[in-house]
Amino acid sequence: MTTPHHFPSDSDSLEGRVFRPATHAELVEAVEQAFDYRGDVSLQLTSGQTVEGYVSNRESHAARPSLQIFPKGESGLRLIRYADVEAISFTGKDTASGKSWEAWVTKKEAQRRAEAEEASNAAKARGHL
Amino acid sequence: MLFDKYAQACRGASLESVKDHNMAVPVSQMYTVASYVLTQKMRRVRRYPLVLMLEPLFRCNLACAGCGKIQYPDHILDKRLTPEQCWAAADECGAPMVSIPGGEPLIHPEMPEIIRGLIERRKYIYLCTNAILLERKLDEYAPSKYLTFSVHMDGLQEEHDHAVCRDGVYDMAVKAIQAALKRGFRVTTNTTLFDDANPARVRTFFDAMMKLGVEGMMISPGYSYQKAPDQKNFLKRSRTHQLFARILGDRKRTWRFNQSPLFLDFLMGKREYQCTPWGNPTYNIFGWQKPCYLLQEGYVPTFQELLETTNWDGYGTGRNDKCEDCMVHCGYEPSAVSDTFGSWSGFGRTVKMTLMPNGR
Repeated sequence: MTTPHHFPSDSDSLEGRVFRPATHAELVEAVEQAFDYRGDVSLQLTSGQTVEGYVSNRESHAARPSLQIFPKGESGLRLIRYADVEAISFTGKDTASGKSWEAWVTKKEAQRRAEAEEASNAAKARGHL
Repeated sequence: MLFDKYAQACRGASLESVKDHNMAVPVSQMYTVASYVLTQKMRRVRRYPLVLMLEPLFRCNLACAGCGKIQYPDHILDKRLTPEQCWAAADECGAPMVSIPGGEPLIHPEMPEIIRGLIERRKYIYLCTNAILLERKLDEYAPSKYLTFSVHMDGLQEEHDHAVCRDGVYDMAVKAIQAALKRGFRVTTNTTLFDDANPARVRTFFDAMMKLGVEGMMISPGYSYQKAPDQKNFLKRSRTHQLFARILGDRKRTWRFNQSPLFLDFLMGKREYQCTPWGNPTYNIFGWQKPCYLLQEGYVPTFQELLETTNWDGYGTGRNDKCEDCMVHCGYEPSAVSDTFGSWSGFGRTVKMTLMPNGR
């Protein structure tokens, strides 16, 4: 089926950034960025707890805005209210960064082959080839 | 009464077409889809799904550059929909056809069970695969009019291996297609074309696929959206028209497309449609995706909620920057199908285009 190619430019990656929103509007924006991010983030909660995982959805316009996160190492989904979020760190690898078609085309042949080999080996290790 | 006339006309045209023009889609499938769409129209249902895009996993055994479907952390790639979740989505949605993209569906260990359940529900299934595992997995499936292996082929060997970023995949896919056809499976190809496609090579590719004996081919333009539209982006739509006009102009009668002829006309710039984003709803491990297969603007737990809470008028050409150049099949083929069954003239155009693809 059709392969979508919708990535931010590779230099736009938020990997490594930390957001400490001062206002609700900033928090909404930070959660939006986390939702768009193709890697795990770490949520620092007002309770002092930290939850690391993939933000799969958010409801910023709900009466009690909340986000959904698949915590790393857990099978279930967790719902967290915006009001409980103190900071968002983009701690996981941005899996989309450098993976655009444009980036692939501009890479040198040797680098392309190395990346293809790496992907092939990973698939083989899982028994998918 | 109108329903009966349409259905009979469709059935008659299809039978005739099968006899004379070796149509790409079996009569029973055409009849099922026609009956379904006409029923929706008779009931004045404004928004109805045509094809459920069921993504049971995102894990793939290829890592094609630019693929927006597989870039997730490992713990997300390891998640899969269960057979029960897949069947519930098909039941809830009610679309007569189910397309299973991914990720690579053949990686899913319960895929044969998922397929069996969908066949029991009389869904026409397009299992989209890169075919790397197909030959090895064929024993797990039984040929059925309801099951089609839709093999991803982006061109001849050089173009395809380049597109999937791995040498040898084209040859593996060809071998798997031959093996599947030999066992009596329905096999089609699906091809995504970008601006750099060489029309002459694509036409040669169509010849090669027809020679292989596939039932039909599906084609769609690749789509790249930018948040800020600019002149360059606006030109992309006209470039798509030019590209497809060169590829599909003076169409060979041996080519069979598993698609609406009106959609092919649309790709060539001979017809304008607005997007039908609810036509091919997407369900995956996150839920029902808003608003469509390509844009990920959020998820809801039920199909009904998807229909009722999505601001549909906010999507489509001229309505949303992200949609400006999109001409992808998941939004526009349902529009073409709706056109076919929306009026006698639409139906007539479809029959004419089917019988005389180069006619005007």
